[in-house]
Amino acid sequence: MAPTLPSNDQASDQDNWDNGRLARKRQLLTEIVLRNRLTALVVDGDTTCRVLEQLLLRSYGVQTQGVDNGRDAVAFIASGVKFDLIIIDMILPVLNGLEATRQIRDMGVHCKMLGVTVCSGESERQAFLAAGVDVFIEKPLDPEHLVPILRELDGQLFVESGPLVMYW
Amino acid sequence: MEVGQMQRRLVDYTKSLFMEGFLDAQFLQLQQLQDESNPDFVVEVVSLFFDDSEKLLNDLTMALDQPNVDFKKVDAHVHQLKGSSSSIGAQRVKNACIAFRSFCEEHNIDATLRCLQQVKQEYYLVKNKLETMLRLEQQIVAAGGSIPMIELGFWRTINMKGGKE
Repeated sequence: MAPTLPSNDQASDQDNWDNGRLARKRQLLTEIVLRNRLTALVVDGDTTCRVLEQLLLRSYGVQTQGVDNGRDAVAFIASGVKFDLIIIDMILPVLNGLEATRQIRDMGVHCKMLGVTVCSGESERQAFLAAGVDVFIEKPLDPEHLVPILRELDGQLFVESGPLVMYW
Repeated sequence: MEVGQMQRRLVDYTKSLFMEGFLDAQFLQLQQLQDESNPDFVVEVVSLFFDDSEKLLNDLTMALDQPNVDFKKVDAHVHQLKGSSSSIGAQRVKNACIAFRSFCEEHNIDATLRCLQQVKQEYYLVKNKLETMLRLEQQIVAAGGSIPMIELGFWRTINMKGGKE
């Protein structure tokens, strides 16, 4: 039920409110339309962060799995499950993110890995990149960083599968 | 109170949280992820954050209460709190964690104890603010109204990228 609108001021406020919400949604949706079903593994020991990152990916149509420690991440990959994207924190329970990344790379896994972490120092950045992540992102993970990466991954799959799908 | 008034009250309250630095642009991201398929998303994530944080604050209090403080453990807890607070946009909690971590590195007991108090204070403040805000939203929805969005111009005046066109 819409609120009553006794004055002109309120009428434009209401329009702003509804249009704002619609515009905001359109902005989020039209930022990217993926043609392929991408898959991602999110490795983060903190529930809030992991849930948020998975939901952000899902809002772009990416199918996601989440694990909360480094050892389970390595085991998951070792079992043969393939992902287009791995998002991994640096500090993790059981097995830390640096070591988990190294082990995943040592298995010959070449997929895109994003190190998404709270640590923001240059030495941490270098260490994570040296361990094998492709991109180092300071938390929180946001669309500005994520969208270009998803577009790139989607584009690579497009090239592999052939030019039958129209890009729009 | 009629719905229009409640909506205006909510908008003013929400704006004040951003202006006073309790919340940052990341919180807007959360709101944008809420839609018909995830209608209670913000409430759920915020509740998750409260549960996680309270546990972390308890762990931190215990860790700093030991005769021989394990600073690595303390740092790991603060790291986690920094991560979750930055992920939901609880800016002042995040900033308090930044200072906390630097004193952990120095193994400074007195300073870290002071930081813990600071973090706790910021946490309880933002918890209170968020609960008030969410309660206002619930009242509006219960009265049949919709949750208003804040006009894009506001974000420009406080110089935040969350509301870009």
